[in-house]
Amino acid sequence: MTDKNNKIPFNEDNYTHNINRNHERELDRRGFMKMLVGAAGVFAVSSLPWGVLAAKELNGLTDKKYPKHKITDVKSIAVGDAVDFAFPGEHDSAILIRLAENEYVAYQNACTHLRCPVFWDKKVEEMICPCHHGKFNAKTGEPIAGPPRRPLPEIQVKVENGAIYAVRVKRYEA
Amino acid sequence: MKHKYVGVVLLLAVLMTNIIVTQYMVHQYFYEHYKNSMLAAIVNAVLFFVAFLIYKMDKKGMSANE
Repeated sequence: MTDKNNKIPFNEDNYTHNINRNHERELDRRGFMKMLVGAAGVFAVSSLPWGVLAAKELNGLTDKKYPKHKITDVKSIAVGDAVDFAFPGEHDSAILIRLAENEYVAYQNACTHLRCPVFWDKKVEEMICPCHHGKFNAKTGEPIAGPPRRPLPEIQVKVENGAIYAVRVKRYEA
Repeated sequence: MKHKYVGVVLLLAVLMTNIIVTQYMVHQYFYEHYKNSMLAAIVNAVLFFVAFLIYKMDKKGMSANE
């Protein structure tokens, strides 16, 4: 069995195939098949993390829960005004805008271009980034002008007992 | 086609399926169809066993012929 491969090239007197090494690496049919099985194994192993991540996503990573956070009282914010807050962490600055009597929107206010804090311009009713004049639609958070190309991450808010609470951050949708 | 290359062709088919399933898995992941993505990952794992079985069967068949 072990010398089988050594007989393969030539058994005759020649100058090129005269080195006979035992266990010489050689790609015969079976070796090739072994390689294919190995490649299938690599595919199987490399798809494991995707499966695990997908399972994690299915098990509620999609809806990450944060303790609800009081932003402000309804009384202290007039229609057309905005207030800054931080959600979900104390360094995740965000902005709440009261668009109409019962219409509130909130976004994480780091500009999606270079993370400058976006502010609310009451006159033009747009969110503006002071660094490079990126503009965002206040209703959807989508960029409408300037360098940013991705929308601001939206925060869901809830009005309860005359106060406004941040409930959760909406999943980023590419 | 010689009989002894049946296994090789089967394995190549398995590998092609692997490639297709892997790409499907990654795409479904980013489309947030996580169930499809998990299914594809499982199919990939099963395909490896299939490949292994094909190899084993080939080895057996060949040693019987020798």
